[in-house]
Amino acid sequence: MALSLSLRRALPQFPPLGFLSTASFALPISITIPPLLADLWESVLRAVPKKKTSHMKKRHRQMAGKALKDVQNLNKCPGCGQVKRAHRHLCSVTPEARRRNQSFAEVAGPNVITAVEVGSGTTQSLRVEAKLSMSRQFLAWGSADNAHPVDIFSLAVTEKQILSASGAPSLKVHSTTDTDFPLVQSIDGAHPLGCHHIVTDESGSRAVSAGFAGDVKAWSCQEGHWSADTATSDVRAWAIALSADGRYLAGVSQNGRVGVWDLSENGTQIRDHETKGSFGTCIDLSADGRFIASGHENGAVYIFLTDTGRMPFSLSGLVKPVRTVAFSPGGKILAAAGDSKVIVLYDTSSGEQIANLSGHAAWVLSLSWSSSGEYLLSSSFDGKVKVWSIDTKMCVATQSETEKAVWSVKWLPKTARSECFATAGANRSVAFYREATGG
Amino acid sequence: MALNTAALPPTVAEGENQALVRGYIDRLLMSLLDQISLSSSEGRPSITLRCRPNSATCVINTTNRALEGCRNEETYRSYSWPGSTAYESWKFTVIIRFLGVVDHALRTGQLISKRRVALLNFDAKGALSSFRSSNTRDIFYIDPAYFRSQQTVNCVVDELAYTIGVDRTALNVEAAGKGLVAGCFRLKRDSTVIVDAQITEDTMVPRIQDSDEIDISGARWVFIIEKDAIFHRLVRSSYHTRAIMGDGILITGKGYPDISTRKFVHRLFDVASNSKHRAPRFYALVDGDPHGIAIMSTYKYGSLAHLHENARLGIPGLQWLGLRITDAILASESSGANDLLFLTARDRTKIIAMLRNSPVWSSNGPEPEWRVELQRMLLLNVKAEIEMLYEQDGGLETWIDHKLFRQT
Repeated sequence: MALSLSLRRALPQFPPLGFLSTASFALPISITIPPLLADLWESVLRAVPKKKTSHMKKRHRQMAGKALKDVQNLNKCPGCGQVKRAHRHLCSVTPEARRRNQSFAEVAGPNVITAVEVGSGTTQSLRVEAKLSMSRQFLAWGSADNAHPVDIFSLAVTEKQILSASGAPSLKVHSTTDTDFPLVQSIDGAHPLGCHHIVTDESGSRAVSAGFAGDVKAWSCQEGHWSADTATSDVRAWAIALSADGRYLAGVSQNGRVGVWDLSENGTQIRDHETKGSFGTCIDLSADGRFIASGHENGAVYIFLTDTGRMPFSLSGLVKPVRTVAFSPGGKILAAAGDSKVIVLYDTSSGEQIANLSGHAAWVLSLSWSSSGEYLLSSSFDGKVKVWSIDTKMCVATQSETEKAVWSVKWLPKTARSECFATAGANRSVAFYREATGG
Repeated sequence: MALNTAALPPTVAEGENQALVRGYIDRLLMSLLDQISLSSSEGRPSITLRCRPNSATCVINTTNRALEGCRNEETYRSYSWPGSTAYESWKFTVIIRFLGVVDHALRTGQLISKRRVALLNFDAKGALSSFRSSNTRDIFYIDPAYFRSQQTVNCVVDELAYTIGVDRTALNVEAAGKGLVAGCFRLKRDSTVIVDAQITEDTMVPRIQDSDEIDISGARWVFIIEKDAIFHRLVRSSYHTRAIMGDGILITGKGYPDISTRKFVHRLFDVASNSKHRAPRFYALVDGDPHGIAIMSTYKYGSLAHLHENARLGIPGLQWLGLRITDAILASESSGANDLLFLTARDRTKIIAMLRNSPVWSSNGPEPEWRVELQRMLLLNVKAEIEMLYEQDGGLETWIDHKLFRQT
């Protein structure tokens, strides 16, 4: 009775009568306990001696966790596609596959024959061959040495030219039609304090550059010669991106605001989106103009719809500062990367992560999609440049020409010849690479 | 009625300098008395000072690599009493008041000091021979309400010294030094060793006279350190005797260096560059932030505030040891290291102002490496403090060893 009364006091919200009846059923033992013992009763019940542990039980406990474990740290060998332990760099299938892993940047022809002949299991070796042919080989094609006196921070390409921006006041234009890559034009005094971003539109008729002093300037191209274009004095942005038709300029500012300016109407601002106020380090516009993506210092990536100005996704796959974002040519995939060294691919229709491309050992500074959307190019702070296949989500080529930071990489527009790309950074030169064709 | 203020060569013997100052004061007083003796309508007692070079037009001198003002433009400013504005007459009286102090100090050699205790300690270490200089802080404390701020006193001191064409020391005014030195450095005066930085943990930077003999023959390197915390850490671990590059000297100016520290380092550099054996190399160890770079530039090229003195204070051979952003990023990758810091809005403004205003960081300036470092900071929005190297393998000392080894 005393117990039920105390319960009743503890749970006053229940109707008294109904509660009393159910409570008496639920109680395991129904004895009257003197009120003095009521508080102690619980511990009295617990003080019963434990059951003696049997020998078998003890033995089981001892052996627990001593059995063979499942191997879970597995991934695929980039050379042959076989499953391998993640911490091993080389595949264990055939010694030839190992050797080729190391030398697939060299000439492939003779190795193919030896592998087929020497390989122990012929079918296995042949499969290895088939997979290996997917790795790409890029050859140094030439360079514009010491194009700038200091670090080159950004590259932009048109059909026949490449524009480079550096810590020096002038912008340089090199021709890409000639393998000597001659200097065609030097826009002197463009940004007195240096320039950190330069972008071009698809047709190559307009370029926009952003300087360290916060000055944003537009340039137009007439028969290969660049000159100052419409005023952009209203533009307050750090990182910039230009729409394919060259009409709209998107920018993200140091306080994280994303804006869009209409360059055909003297640079008036037509959109202004607010984010959480973290430094906006990079921005990109999709080729169809539907999306804007901005990357921020706190690791956030935001996607905006340009027609409604709505923000359907705030992507938070990266914890550390994001340094670069890039839409695939079809606009279906967004690639983002930065200090976390991983390149994350997002589906732009669902906002979900499709893949993580890991392999860089330092901050990733720049990304660029090939015109077909088949390959993604990335560069990092330790001077490595990697080409990733989007089909297999694997690195198919690595260039390590320099140990200094490569600030910018860009594919050149696809022409009749094979795929080519350009890299530039702290070594002050613009280097060009082309895909090796034939055997 | 501008006084004769012809420019004088900067290095004149001390006795001559004092005569110049006295002559100037006497002539000024005479002209003031002349004016006062006239009728009140005609008499206009006034003082004309030569303006120091404007920092907006400064350039880097190509011969001595110091930051200097444009020589061709000389401007003067007169303060008369009673002036047209309250400010003018106040400034006039401040100058007169200040000249009174200087005159008194010159004639008696008496010291009026609120920093007497600090100076006494200094003397106990055997560095200071005479008490015949007053410091700017003392002068300020004579009448704080009147002088309003320390800035006023500093400004008047510099302007007067520049007008007379002498050094600040000739006015018997010297700011109390805040620099520290440790390592194999010895100062001999009259063939007795009066400072030996190897014996004590740290020594205040001594005031060196022209006749003093400086012995740095044992040193292979000299570190100019931005922070005194880093300095003390290196001294405690006896880095100046344990470095793999050999013995060396550690110097700190505790942030932006004062003139006495800069003068001391400049003197050491002179001795080093005139020595016949292997001369020690001079390295700057500063934070990877805009202030670190600005401090390094102050040591190497001089400051915007004292353009006319920079030629006598610079260290053209100063090399940059660290901390570079690239090194800091590498260090932050190692486990347990502190993260890099983000730049604040003030840092960013400071960097942009540095890039814009000073010829040191201009695009055709002498230090493209410094310029691009500032730009990298802006681009990555990061900065780094030397303290982050404490957590490295082997600590700060090992890092410096590696770095020095690679530089030589």
